[in-house]
Amino acid sequence: MLLASPAMLFVFVVFVIPFFTFAVYSVLTSELFSIGPPVTLDSYRHAIESDSVRTLAYNAGLIGAIVAFVTVAAALPIAYWLRFCAGRWRLPVLFLITSTVIASYLVRIYAWRSVLGTHGLANSALESLGLIDHPLNFLLFNRFAVGIALVHIFLPYVVLLLYASFGPMPSALLECAQDLGAGAFRRWTRVIIPLMAPPLLSSWMLVFVLSAGDYVTPQLLGGTTGVMIGVEVQNQFKSVGDYASGAAISFLMLGAFALTYALLRLTMHFAKVPQRIEWSS
Amino acid sequence: MTEERRRSIPTTIFVLIALVFLFLPLVIVVLFSFQSTGSVVFPFHGFSLRWYKTVFESEEFLEAVATSLKIAAIASLLTVVFGTAASYGISRSRFKLRWLVALLMVIPLSLPGLFIGASLLSFFDQTGVQLSTTTVLAGHLVYLLPFYIIIVRAAFDRADPLLEEAGADLGASPWRVFTRVLLPRVWPVIAGTACLMFALSLDEFVITFFVIGDEPTLPLFIWSRLRETVDPSINVISTLLLLTTLALGVVALLIGMRSARRRNPAIEGGPFADE
Repeated sequence: MLLASPAMLFVFVVFVIPFFTFAVYSVLTSELFSIGPPVTLDSYRHAIESDSVRTLAYNAGLIGAIVAFVTVAAALPIAYWLRFCAGRWRLPVLFLITSTVIASYLVRIYAWRSVLGTHGLANSALESLGLIDHPLNFLLFNRFAVGIALVHIFLPYVVLLLYASFGPMPSALLECAQDLGAGAFRRWTRVIIPLMAPPLLSSWMLVFVLSAGDYVTPQLLGGTTGVMIGVEVQNQFKSVGDYASGAAISFLMLGAFALTYALLRLTMHFAKVPQRIEWSS
Repeated sequence: MTEERRRSIPTTIFVLIALVFLFLPLVIVVLFSFQSTGSVVFPFHGFSLRWYKTVFESEEFLEAVATSLKIAAIASLLTVVFGTAASYGISRSRFKLRWLVALLMVIPLSLPGLFIGASLLSFFDQTGVQLSTTTVLAGHLVYLLPFYIIIVRAAFDRADPLLEEAGADLGASPWRVFTRVLLPRVWPVIAGTACLMFALSLDEFVITFFVIGDEPTLPLFIWSRLRETVDPSINVISTLLLLTTLALGVVALLIGMRSARRRNPAIEGGPFADE
């Protein structure tokens, strides 16, 4: 255990202590790039009362929830295919998907500009197919563009997470369902989705927190309507210099995440969804 | 037990669409880095390396590359040294507060980088630390160390401690046991994860943005260029960053697969095989 102490000490000094400093900052009084007493809850009050903060928080919650749902819904059939249908294609496809996990985050966001822009791929393709006469301007710089880029970022992670959860599920289970007369639809709704509920919900939560807390994508692709709350925190810290407000908004976000998590767990409890399913061989 | 392969045409089509969705935007970025005119949109005007030339002649770009490589090298080296020690310590100890240590390792990974960046900035502000490449390095380590420890600790946990006890009984010093008995079994995981750490540090933006001094890293350089103009030089830099991170990821994956196959030749599918 002694061997672990340098790393632990480091994480303590550079994560735990800063996090407490951050918490303390949220109840102090801030002046242009400096901060000090008196202790006050004013920053929290201002943040809650501010219309713009509310709008941005709403955007983050909405985009985060939808992105998380779409990501998980898209990842499930891919993970299923990898586990049960892929055969000799499993390794190459898994390899391709895993390699996109590491592909540069910033570049992947930027890439969507070339796809959704006025003269981007989507518009050029639609025009050459004769489906539209003029480029569609509403594809980029809004919530939709932010959402699609976030799905693009998180999809490979969730595919890997769900694929790992599919691992121990025996294929015989699906054959039994089939032999008992369940069609594809019922196999999905009555067998696969209920058995995968714990990892599906935890993946949803993970993607929700990470995408609702993102501040880069909304800035590059969000225009004026797709801005999210993270951008406000970043602005308060790096441009406005109101550290107390930035910290207060951050802790309100963390509170909202904790509340979402609690609600999810409560729902799981009442819907009798186990926290995890133990497979025995 | 061999399982029969199931067939589902709609799912197969869906997987193909997903692969196109994942790769097409990246392919387009790379394609337009070869654009011969100054625009990054269709139509594509044919292959030219002129933007590559422009980029490589830019002082600022070369400085950003140097800064990024320096930080990534130091960050991954420190992560390997302290992370390996920590993984070994956690894996082999009977310490009661192991859960606390494990929790401390998971929290930085499940929080959006925004919070880590903002906490660090508050901390550096409070303690009067000047923002520089050192603060960026600290920010990267907060994120890399837990990541590294989670992967490498799992590899240590899989390696049977009985062999180490045998080594110790035969009179080997703890250091010799570690280097001669344990390390030969886990080094591929360490090497692969080290590549991954290098790539993650090279690409880190979210935390770096908060704690950067006046020397930009490569992602920060792309960011500032994006706010000024958009021309194919951004695609060139993006392509270089993209291909570097992809290459490091592939190397890490290949090392991992080789080691998994050697550990158990029956495993056909490498580290992700299910049975």
